[in-house]
Amino acid sequence: MIPPVLSLLACAALASAAKLSLSGPRITVISSDGSTTRNEPLSLALKSDYPVQLSNTDTLKLSFTIIEKDEGKGIRPHQTFLRFFDSDTGEEGIQPLRVSPSGKAKFELNMARPPASLPPTSSSSLSVELFVGSFVHSPLQAYLFDLVLPPSYPTPKHPEESHYHVKPEIQHIFRPDPTSPPKFISAVFTGVVLAPWAVLALLWSQISTPLPHLFSSSIIPFTSTLAIFEVLLVWYWVDLKLGQVLLYGSVLGVVAVFTGHRALVSIGQRRLQTPKKST
Amino acid sequence: MPPKAPTRPATRSPITSLLKAYSEQTPDRLKFIDAFLVFLMLSGVAQFLYCILVTNYPFNAFLAGFSSNVGQFVLTASLRSQVNPQNRTEFKDVSPERAFADFALGSIVLHFFVFNFLG
Repeated sequence: MIPPVLSLLACAALASAAKLSLSGPRITVISSDGSTTRNEPLSLALKSDYPVQLSNTDTLKLSFTIIEKDEGKGIRPHQTFLRFFDSDTGEEGIQPLRVSPSGKAKFELNMARPPASLPPTSSSSLSVELFVGSFVHSPLQAYLFDLVLPPSYPTPKHPEESHYHVKPEIQHIFRPDPTSPPKFISAVFTGVVLAPWAVLALLWSQISTPLPHLFSSSIIPFTSTLAIFEVLLVWYWVDLKLGQVLLYGSVLGVVAVFTGHRALVSIGQRRLQTPKKST
Repeated sequence: MPPKAPTRPATRSPITSLLKAYSEQTPDRLKFIDAFLVFLMLSGVAQFLYCILVTNYPFNAFLAGFSSNVGQFVLTASLRSQVNPQNRTEFKDVSPERAFADFALGSIVLHFFVFNFLG
């Protein structure tokens, strides 16, 4: 049983080593009016000096036959691709080809209706290569010719393209510092803001308010406590911390409660004794 | 000017009579409070005009000044309504002394916040 298996494996190895080649590769360029402007055979070994140039209306025809190199018999490989590669931009396009059972393949590039597989082109040339893959042959990769196409529209940017670059450094812009207005305006409005005090003094001077008991012993502690409160708050603005103010304020508050109670009780008694006068 | 002669007293008379009634019928203590209210109003208007016309640069200072005006106005107005003898029926439980104590306490708390803002 073993020798047949070995022979089969050997056959497979031999078959896979069999090489592929092209027979009669030929390119034809046909202009829009039907005249053939270029018609020549291709050589896989020698690179042509003149790249194939197409205008917007030209048609390129490429035909060849895939053969086994040793036997010269046309075969149909499993995969056949044309690759258009722009070495400047790195863009490439892959065009699968249909191959007949006898190995014949044709490709037609009509520039009036370019296929979607064509990469975006610039003024540089595309190199056209042929890739042939088969299960039972060693693969074939052959450079065919250079192709110069009219430049296409610029490549559309990939939406995430910017993620692959260093972003520009963020420059923070701050609002300019606010400035005080000119001194003249400041002075004018200081006067305007202080003017109500004069109005207050004027109005109060015209109202004869009797304050007969303001300096009596029962009331003056309360008013002075209130005054000390205000002084404490001004002091808070100038110097003190919040905790100190709350401490002193609570002490003052206790004092104010007692003095205020005493003062207001005395006033209330006075008011009740003379009920005609209000407050 | 014959047509104007009758209208002038007609337009003036309500205001003058209002002023006259106010000065005659209002107790002096309420006038005293009213003068303070007018002062607070004028002061607040002046600060607000400065803020919108010139600059609000020390905005905390504007807030402190203006809010102290407004707050003091509210406190004083409530004091006035509570000590007004005509409102005695509405504030039966609130004696004028109690109202003044409330006013003093509220003012001190308000001034505390105002100076807090000013800092």
